[in-house]
Amino acid sequence: MIEIRQPGTRVTIQDAGRPGYRHLGIPKSGAADKLSFALANFMVGNPWNTPALECVLGGQHFKFHKDLTVAIAGAEMWAQVNGQNVENFSSFKVRAGDILTFSFARIGCRAYLALPGGVEGSEFLGSVSTYLQAGLGGLQGRALQARDTLKSPDVKPQARTIPKGYKPLMSNHVVLRAVEGPEFYDLSLDSQRHLFVNPFRATQNTNRMGARLKGNLVQPKVAHSMTSSPLLPGTLQCPPDGQPILAMADGHCTGGYYRGLQVIRADLWQMGQIKPGTRISFRRSIGEDAHEVLSRRNVFYGSLMEGFSF
Amino acid sequence: MSTKAYEIIPFGDSGYLVKFPIDTYSDVVTQQIHSVIGQLRAQSNWEELVPGYNSLLAYFCPDKFSPAKAQSALHQALKLSADHKPVDQKIIDIPVCYGGDFGPDMQAIEQSSGLSEAEIISLHSQQIYTVCMMGFVPGFTFLSAAPEQLHHNRHETPRTVVPAGSVGIAGWQTGIYGIESPGGWQLIGRTPYAIFDPDRKNPFLLEAGNQVRFVSISARAFETVK
Repeated sequence: MIEIRQPGTRVTIQDAGRPGYRHLGIPKSGAADKLSFALANFMVGNPWNTPALECVLGGQHFKFHKDLTVAIAGAEMWAQVNGQNVENFSSFKVRAGDILTFSFARIGCRAYLALPGGVEGSEFLGSVSTYLQAGLGGLQGRALQARDTLKSPDVKPQARTIPKGYKPLMSNHVVLRAVEGPEFYDLSLDSQRHLFVNPFRATQNTNRMGARLKGNLVQPKVAHSMTSSPLLPGTLQCPPDGQPILAMADGHCTGGYYRGLQVIRADLWQMGQIKPGTRISFRRSIGEDAHEVLSRRNVFYGSLMEGFSF
Repeated sequence: MSTKAYEIIPFGDSGYLVKFPIDTYSDVVTQQIHSVIGQLRAQSNWEELVPGYNSLLAYFCPDKFSPAKAQSALHQALKLSADHKPVDQKIIDIPVCYGGDFGPDMQAIEQSSGLSEAEIISLHSQQIYTVCMMGFVPGFTFLSAAPEQLHHNRHETPRTVVPAGSVGIAGWQTGIYGIESPGGWQLIGRTPYAIFDPDRKNPFLLEAGNQVRFVSISARAFETVK
């Protein structure tokens, strides 16, 4: 059992999400940084998609009620157990009564805490991922609060270390490879150029639904109202005020703004590490390249974690 | 039924968007979109199939299903959709209490249309609508076009909270807010029905392709149904 002593900025239960329901208005949700989440599970011997805790920006304090092996991965948050530093992207033993703390997100935005066998949450459409907008999954569909306790099954832990070269790099300047979105060529020529040149900065309006960006204005050639149309995580929407919105794991399933860019699948996990203030560059990717990158990355991480793909 | 012109364009590296070049609502296009989605849903290669008013998104993993195959599956489904005969759907009645506190923007529609509240209610509720798409949030129901006299622009500044069940108008679109959310549509009434209820055996009262009719009810009936 694990007890939340302080929830910090936010902590929710997440797994691999509930794909396949966007036509009903249900986003996939799931761990915003799928790769760090999967690696946290890997380090305690779990299948990669086992429910874990997603900790946003730091400030979280957890108390363990039994001896356990746990793992942390993702944002660099200066984690400590009883005041002693523990390394990011590592697994370690904790004893009943120990307190794990995350200080603040020095690099990145979200850290994952995995327990052997995962944590229990309420399932909706095959996933316990918390989706706050509709109160789905997790613990009563909400973010965790101080004094919440979560059960975790009694599973014999299998501590594993991440082999060399598999640990992702965290950065406060996130580079996302992207291709032209459906309405890219309806944007002004200046905007088309700016998108791939100057970095944007994520504003305070940044959460699991999306990140509002500030930078060069991104504007349509001609003001035009668009019929509501499908969106995906990684779609860069361009509203008339010129400040684009990057849709994330919990992003709306449809929207009525021009879709300027689409982040390639192999880079979607990086969006989970965007916090207010993060710099974001979009790098142009050509369709075929994206497929090659994806297939290489899937082989690479799939050989480490059974069934994992981006 | 004849096929409407369409275009298939990539939507990122893992999706295709089928676009129909129309700016308003078209029954023919909606039927075609739902026929294609129905056919593709029977295939296991697709991760998401999302209908829109004038487009459809087919999302897949290019590492498991080659883009060339995905594209030809789409062309095939589009070809077959030309002969698609819409299935006679049962019409789902949705009770709505129009006006008053439930429809704070009724007056705005009265002014723009020059109609009385009673005329607006009868216009809005006499027609049968097709559910064209769901979402942006769970349960949000995008319906086929409202009668022309009722068309009205969105609020310039959206409300921060729109109650669940609110029925509204945005341009030519009409629809229902499935859960409480922010929103800019002109609100003319509210249904006591929960379009989305995660605790119900079937959480979704409506899905794309359904036929819907609004039935005007009193405030008292609203409370009873609820």
